[in-house]
Amino acid sequence: MTKKKTIRLVLWIFLIGLIAAFGSIYYVFNMPRRNVSGENAIYSLQAKQLISDFRNDETIATKKYLDQAIAVTGEIKSIRTLDNHSMVISLEDAMEGVSCTVDSADVVKYGTQLSAVKIGINATFKGRCSGMLMDIQVINCVPQ
Amino acid sequence: MNKITLIIALSILCFTAGAQNVFITKDAKIIFNSSTPLEDIVAESNQATTVIDIEKNVVKFSVLTTSFKFRRALMEEHFNENYMESAKFPKASFTGKIVTPVDWKSDKSIIADITGTLTMHGVSSEVTVKAKITPGKSKIAASAEFKVTPEAFNIPIPSAVRDKIAKEVTIKIDAVYAPFQQLP
Repeated sequence: MTKKKTIRLVLWIFLIGLIAAFGSIYYVFNMPRRNVSGENAIYSLQAKQLISDFRNDETIATKKYLDQAIAVTGEIKSIRTLDNHSMVISLEDAMEGVSCTVDSADVVKYGTQLSAVKIGINATFKGRCSGMLMDIQVINCVPQ
Repeated sequence: MNKITLIIALSILCFTAGAQNVFITKDAKIIFNSSTPLEDIVAESNQATTVIDIEKNVVKFSVLTTSFKFRRALMEEHFNENYMESAKFPKASFTGKIVTPVDWKSDKSIIADITGTLTMHGVSSEVTVKAKITPGKSKIAASAEFKVTPEAFNIPIPSAVRDKIAKEVTIKIDAVYAPFQQLP
């Protein structure tokens, strides 16, 4: 191999490396938000079970459920729409039950399914558990 | 009427009587801003739960740190994993006393001092916040803006990003409370 060819090869490798590096930095920087709707639920359970797990021992329940994709089923007790057009559906208790938040984009995307959501019926929502305040909060929810 | 029914009836009565002084919302908005000219860092949560007791003049706030939304998913990840350590400390909370006398029967806005304890990242710190309170019979509106430093809550900022994150983080709060028993 001539000296010229070697230099060329090194330059090419360097260029490819550079593109790969920039590409991965760009990807990490702009990585898509986690989309729970595409994930399988780690836990599928009744809202009552989730409530009792958190009431029994919040620390243990937080460890178990925090940030996990979960599917919760329960009776709808209240439906609210927030200023930012996201929807909050409370299961089993309006105050101290499980609050499932559907983001505004998903409210549009799952409009037909959500229009069937009424107080008193049973429904399942899949989302990411973010812990307990008065209620147990499940965010980024989609109807199942 | 048997004894148990009486006890239940009495406790419900006590509860509702007490609850008239209590206003609540589960959808309070908290905006967190630590932008610098180098980087826009703004996050918002619409899921703070807060209670105001107009008899005791006490305010309580709590929010789950994972409910904050940033412009970029990467910022959310850094916020929860590196700075707030949400897995270890999932909540931030505030309990405070409204020091300035408020006439809860009027419907005029008042700027009131609220002094209390802000707890986040496992560290509690005394803060005094100026809040605009608008009393009302069926709802109470409150908003506040104050600054905190990450260092006060033992949140270290690596020197590599120190210039991108504001030294003082501005926290803006907006809440509209409804009487406790009337929440849908």
